[in-house]
Amino acid sequence: MSARMKRLLKSIEVEKYPLCIEKSRLITESFKRTEGEPMIMRRAKALANILDHIHIFIENDQMIVGNAASKPMGLEFDFYAGLWSKEEIEGLKEVGYVISDDEEKELLEMREYWKSYNPISRVGQMLDDRLWPFFQSGMVLPPWKDKEEGPGGGYAESGMGLGPGFYILTVDFQRLLQGGLNRIIEEAEEELKKLDLTDPDSMNRIAFLKAVIISQQAIIRFAERFANLADEMAAKESDPKRKEELERIAVTCRHIPADPPRTFYEAMQFFWLAFLMTTPSPTASIGRFDQYMYPFYKKDIENGTTTDEEVLELLQCLRIKDMHINRTSGKLARQKNAGMAKWHNMTIGGVIPETGEDATNELSYLVLDAVKLCPVPHHTVTVRVNENTPEDLMLKALEVVKTGIGMPAFVGDRSYIEYLLSEKVSLEDARDYALGGCIDATIVGKSRIASYGMFIISKIFEITMNNGLDPRMNIRMGPKTGEFESFATFDEFLDAFKKQLKYFMGLHAERNNIELQIFRDLYPDPVRSAWMYRGVQEGKALLERKFPFENAAVLNPVGLINVVDSLAAVKKVVFDDRKVGQKELFETLQSDWKGARGQEIRKLFLAAPKYGNNDDYVDSIARDIYHYYAKTATQFKTYIGGTHKPTGVSISAQWPGGALTGATPDGRYAGDCLADGTVSAMRGMDTHGPTAVILSASKIDQVPFQASLMNMKFHPSSLKTTDDLRKLSFLIRTYFSRNGKHIQFNVVNKETLVNAQKEPEKHKDLIVRIAGYSAYFVQLGEPMQNEIIGRTEHEEAA
Amino acid sequence: MTNIEEVRGVTFNLQHYSIHDGPGIRTTVFLKGCPLRCVWCQNPESQDFKPVIFLNLERCTGCGTCVNACPEAAIQIIDGKSKTDRKLCKGHGQCAEVCPNEARSLMGKYMTAREVFDDVNADAIFYQNSGGGVTLSGGDPVAQPEFSRAILKLCHDAGIHTAIETSGFAKWDIFKGILEYTDLVLYDIKHMDSAKHKEYTGVPNEMILENAVRIRKELDLSMLGRLPIMPGYNDSPENMERTAQFIANDLGGGFKVHLLPYHRLGETKYARMEEPDKAVSITPPTEEHMAELVKIFESKGLETVVGG
Repeated sequence: MSARMKRLLKSIEVEKYPLCIEKSRLITESFKRTEGEPMIMRRAKALANILDHIHIFIENDQMIVGNAASKPMGLEFDFYAGLWSKEEIEGLKEVGYVISDDEEKELLEMREYWKSYNPISRVGQMLDDRLWPFFQSGMVLPPWKDKEEGPGGGYAESGMGLGPGFYILTVDFQRLLQGGLNRIIEEAEEELKKLDLTDPDSMNRIAFLKAVIISQQAIIRFAERFANLADEMAAKESDPKRKEELERIAVTCRHIPADPPRTFYEAMQFFWLAFLMTTPSPTASIGRFDQYMYPFYKKDIENGTTTDEEVLELLQCLRIKDMHINRTSGKLARQKNAGMAKWHNMTIGGVIPETGEDATNELSYLVLDAVKLCPVPHHTVTVRVNENTPEDLMLKALEVVKTGIGMPAFVGDRSYIEYLLSEKVSLEDARDYALGGCIDATIVGKSRIASYGMFIISKIFEITMNNGLDPRMNIRMGPKTGEFESFATFDEFLDAFKKQLKYFMGLHAERNNIELQIFRDLYPDPVRSAWMYRGVQEGKALLERKFPFENAAVLNPVGLINVVDSLAAVKKVVFDDRKVGQKELFETLQSDWKGARGQEIRKLFLAAPKYGNNDDYVDSIARDIYHYYAKTATQFKTYIGGTHKPTGVSISAQWPGGALTGATPDGRYAGDCLADGTVSAMRGMDTHGPTAVILSASKIDQVPFQASLMNMKFHPSSLKTTDDLRKLSFLIRTYFSRNGKHIQFNVVNKETLVNAQKEPEKHKDLIVRIAGYSAYFVQLGEPMQNEIIGRTEHEEAA
Repeated sequence: MTNIEEVRGVTFNLQHYSIHDGPGIRTTVFLKGCPLRCVWCQNPESQDFKPVIFLNLERCTGCGTCVNACPEAAIQIIDGKSKTDRKLCKGHGQCAEVCPNEARSLMGKYMTAREVFDDVNADAIFYQNSGGGVTLSGGDPVAQPEFSRAILKLCHDAGIHTAIETSGFAKWDIFKGILEYTDLVLYDIKHMDSAKHKEYTGVPNEMILENAVRIRKELDLSMLGRLPIMPGYNDSPENMERTAQFIANDLGGGFKVHLLPYHRLGETKYARMEEPDKAVSITPPTEEHMAELVKIFESKGLETVVGG
């Protein structure tokens, strides 16, 4: 690691993260001036106010500029996901954030203004007797406290765009780099000239196009501010090398992003400023970086104007920049995204859209080298694997995995492309997919997810066992599908569960449609809308138009494997072997495995077949339930004209979701964490090694899912030599040849994790994989730490 | 169904995704029973043919559930913990089945060759892609020759690459029956001095060394050298030198040698078998020491790695 990188790494270590209000202040100021104007115009003007006035700075040693908050490593409060209360701010202060008293006071004053734009209370107004218990229950996390405040707290995030976050999309960086923002402005002016005022949409169209122009011009001015600052700093700089770097920054920021970059360096700077505008969003996707950056790289290398060493340093600078984009939220929402969760996912590898040939190039390798040299949790990297992916790339990727950083993740082109084709996406677009969020398929510029819940299926199982009642709140939530004791056969019980599942998927879909429409009305984003496929020509914001791959809302199950294991255990112990009666099981679960025979009964249920061991008894249930889930999800429409998509990532929702679920027949205690991922086995239940897990997961038809997450943990002794890595590569390839979608690894021994829990101060740099993102282990809550420690570690015996 | 599918034997673990017991991704079948009694044994639960009970005293609460379950009346509660009379214990395993605290577990399971094959064959797709297969280990596959032969034949006939890991202590006629369906032999050489060999393992080494030569010269089978490195017992430069010489000259060289440093896993296993006194205390060799040993083998032209 270079001396520069060492200093930069040091610069992102902070004792406490500063909470900032400058951005909120600038938005509020602007909003007060623009009352009555179309929302998209107000938002564009607010953005311009931010970009023209927010405090900017250039960090020492950095070669890429563009700060993400008004203070280094800061987070700007946001109101788009709910209001911040005094109590919630106090909660943040307790867990390592800092804010001055004056600023806190000012923020709470602004809260009054934002009440009328509060999306939460707007959702709250829509909640009738069916939906309100559904929201309260936390079946879609987090549980709501009341109709005005929702779960409590909003977001505080870094990033210079307007959001809202949690949209999963990949803007068309390639097109931006080719034409610069001036092309977007020209296109908008062109469209304004062509305007047909007899079109009933024309007034909206004018507002949209003008908003696009205002926002793009503001971004160009923002870059100029950095050019001016760099000039000022260069004039004072005594170190000739740094002076030269600052001068280069000034020249670059006067050229881009208005015009297309001329060099790889300028392209990096362009990318970062553009990316900054797609944040705050923890799910802003970087897209196929090794593809769209390659022409700039190739040209510079051929001209001899740059070297791999320089490129590598810039790629590391980018990683450091991304560590400046942080995020937190209210207490309940924090649990489901433990440890500064974000998914700035960079996709490498894959195939060339036009020919289907492998797309790996020199940059793919350099990106991996940069991760190894600069081992910070963000940005994350995902390798698209196809049958022609070079083994060298696999080995290099696994060399990085071996360091224990939890990345890159691996995804199988075969399963993703087949899925997209089944969604009527064109072959070229399907081949050009990039990962968004954890590992969801996005088509560059042509899809966006805007409603994504953590759907706790184990609760639905519990409600089925209770004939439609939620035992935690003692409220009727679902239809009456029969008392558990009344089922004569396993199939009757299974049918009851499916009925409940379908019912709650319907409620979830209603929730999503409400959320989507409120977001459409309150938060049109002129920037990201313009940067999508035909964004300017369509003349509509993200949630007002239909996209070629229309995936505005998803249904994302958490704890489905616990349900599968529970169903199998009930089938085996109660209906097949008749060792425990229905009444006795019901009471034992209610007592959380206590009572006279409690432990004896739990042993029987634990001994029943478990998913992840290549046992058809339970794997066939998994196949059936996942199939039913995927098929049912697509029956629910969105107002935009598409259907819901089944997907599967759990983030860290297995922990708060488990906390809301009572004891389950898979042997789990009430409140215990659920299984992680979507097709991972429940921790500790996969006792036949990783190949059995892969075989079980391959029996589930994963193709109809937009994502299906698999975590595996390996002991470092399994990844010592190149030969070991080669074998792991075979394991991955075999999984993908059987339509597996995704796999990622934690490589760290239990002892280290346990020690880190005991002595966090000594393990500040220990990074683990959660679900589609890596995080510092010591920043996770204790239950989440325990969950990771408990995941089955694949290790060889003597 | 043919007879060989029904041959029964005792296994104590089927480990999938074994990556250090031969080429590719493998399944290692650990068989019970061993003709040797090495003082440093790291898998003492594998020595006996019959299943054996492991007792984790940390988990035992002395509840006594096992006392009533044992058909041999071999268990008593002493000082708040269960204790097994190992002379009476027949390894039925009822105590493990009823133990509410998972303090007791049964190491060893009766299986037919067909059952073992089905479990191994489930991973066939991984073998194909990686050039892997099955490895019989133990214990020692020569301790259950009929069972081993049956498993190897079933695998071999299904096109699965077969390997055995063995001490080589078997009469040639019996050994040959196993080797007939073996593609690769992972051969343990523990000491070149027969008297020392007998002292440390309970048996002399002449038959072992002779068999090794015959495997190479008469059967021309592929081999991997597997040398447990036990500091203070067999790691002297002289013994290493002699071993390397034997491999390079008598066995003709041309195959890889794995030096396997001692680790402490066996110590807790003796405790679980309620025989803590049997555990010898050996300090694992240092990395530097291992590197020196590697040099000795390399000087004879042998490709040598530490670990499997």
